Amino acid sequence: MFILASEYGHITAGTESKGEKRKDPMLECKEITKTYGRKTAVDHVSLKLEPGHIYAMLGPNGSGKTTLMKMAAGLVKPNSGGFWYQGEPVGKESRREIAYMSTEPYFYNWMTAEDVGKYYKDFFDDFSMERYQSLLRRMELTPDMKTKTLSSGMMAKLKIAVTMARKAKVFLLDEPLNGIDLLARDVIIQTVIEECGPDVALVISSHLVDELERVVDAAIFMKEGRLVLMGDVEDLRVQQGKSVTDLYREIYGHGGEM
Amino acid sequence: MGKLMKYEFRKTMFSKIILLVITAILEILLLAGIFLNWENGLGWGLIGLTLCVIIGIFYIGLESLMVFHRDLNTKQSYMLFLTPHDSYQILGAKVLENGLSLLLAGCFFAALAAIDFSVAVAYLGGFKELINVVTHILKQISVEIQFTTAESLMVVFAVLSVWLMTIVTGFLAIVLCATVLAGRRFSGFVSFLIFLLLSWGCSALTNRIPESLETAVYYTLYILAVLVLTVVMYLISGWIMERKLSV
Repeated sequence: MFILASEYGHITAGTESKGEKRKDPMLECKEITKTYGRKTAVDHVSLKLEPGHIYAMLGPNGSGKTTLMKMAAGLVKPNSGGFWYQGEPVGKESRREIAYMSTEPYFYNWMTAEDVGKYYKDFFDDFSMERYQSLLRRMELTPDMKTKTLSSGMMAKLKIAVTMARKAKVFLLDEPLNGIDLLARDVIIQTVIEECGPDVALVISSHLVDELERVVDAAIFMKEGRLVLMGDVEDLRVQQGKSVTDLYREIYGHGGEM
Repeated sequence: MGKLMKYEFRKTMFSKIILLVITAILEILLLAGIFLNWENGLGWGLIGLTLCVIIGIFYIGLESLMVFHRDLNTKQSYMLFLTPHDSYQILGAKVLENGLSLLLAGCFFAALAAIDFSVAVAYLGGFKELINVVTHILKQISVEIQFTTAESLMVVFAVLSVWLMTIVTGFLAIVLCATVLAGRRFSGFVSFLIFLLLSWGCSALTNRIPESLETAVYYTLYILAVLVLTVVMYLISGWIMERKLSV
C-alpha cells in the first residue's frame, strides 16, 4: 500500500498477516530530528524497514536522505527521537549487522584495495574475503591499486565491493551510482540485487530514479527533511497507475505540492 | 581494541620510520666521531641526537593530535565509527597507542643514550672528565644533580606521563570543538583556550604534591597523579563523544 506520510504517524512498506505475533521491526525510527545550526536536516521522521525489501530512498539534494542514513548507521546523533535496530538503539552492536556505504570516499590514503579488505576483515565478522576478491575482479579492480589514485568511478566500485562483501542484515547505500558509467552501473546493480534475500533489508539512495525503479520494491520519498511518501512500488503501479518516476516528478517537479 | 591500536600505529608508522632513520644517521655520525676521534662528527651527532629526542617525543604526541583531529573532521572518520566499537574503545586505542609509543620511544632513546655514554667513556677517557666539569658548573649555579639511575628513570617516566596527559587534554579539546562547540564561531580558538585552562588546572593540582618528600616518593606520587588526571580526561572525552559526536 502506498501511503502519505502526513496521514500516518508511523509507516512501513512491509506487510503483516493477521494473528502474527508482533515483533520489533528490523530497523525503525521514531520522530527522529536532526538540526545543524538553524537548518533542520531531518524533521520528525518515523518509518519502519522490514527484511526482504529493497527500498529506494529518493529526494533532491538537501532533502535529508544522507543524514537519515547516517543516523541509522549510528554516525550522526539525532537531536530528538532515535533509530532502533531489532528493538535496540543503534550503536556499537547494530554496526555488526548494518552496513553503510557513504557516497564520499572514506578510506585511508595509505590503503590499497587489499588493505581495505583486510581492514574490513579485521573489524566485521560477516565480511568474506573470498567474496571481496571475487567482487574486485568483477569490478575490474586489482588488490594492489592505491585508493588515493583511484578515479571517482573506480572508488565507487571499490566501496560497493567492500560493502557488499559483508553478509549484513541491513545495507544502507548512499548514492552508489554517482559518477558511474552505464556499464558499471549495471554491474553494481547486479551485485546489490544478489545480496537481497528474505532476511536482508536494502536501502539505496539515488537521483537516478528510473534506474532504481527496475530493482526496488519500495520507495521512500524525502523532501526538505521530511518523509512525504513511502510504500510498495507494485501497489503504486496497480492502484494509481503511476511509476516511481512519475511520482518523483509529481513530488519534486515544478509546483510539487506534497 | 588490539586491532584498533594496530591501525592507529599504522597511521603514524611513516613518521616513526623517518624518526628512526634520522636517529640511525645521527648515531652513525656520533659513533664515527667517537671511534675516529672526529670532533665535528661527535659534536653534530650529540647535538642532533639530543634534538632528535626532544623533537621526536614532541612530534609523536603532536601527530596523534593531528590524526585525531582528522579522524573526527574528515570522511575518514567513517573508518573508525562504522566499526562495532564505542567511543571509549576508539579513543582508548588512541590513548594507549600513543602512551605505548611514547614509552617505547622514551626507553629506546634512554637506552641509546646509556649505550652511547658507555661507549664514549670507554673510548674517550676525557669524556667522563667533561661530565664532571659540567656537573661542577651546575653546582656553582646552585643546580645540584645527584640522581641515581632509578631516579633518572622516574624523571623520564614523569616527563613522558606529563606529555601523555597534555596529549589527552588535547584530545578533550578536539572533542569539545567537534561536539558542543561545533558550528559555533571561534570554536577552534575557544577549545584551545579550554585546553590551556585544563592544562593549567592539571599543573596546579600536581604541583600540590609537596616537594619536600623523598625524591622517589615524590615522583611516584607525581606520576600517579598525572596518570589519574589522564584517565579522567579520557573518560570525559569518551563520555562526550558517546553522547554528542556526529561524524
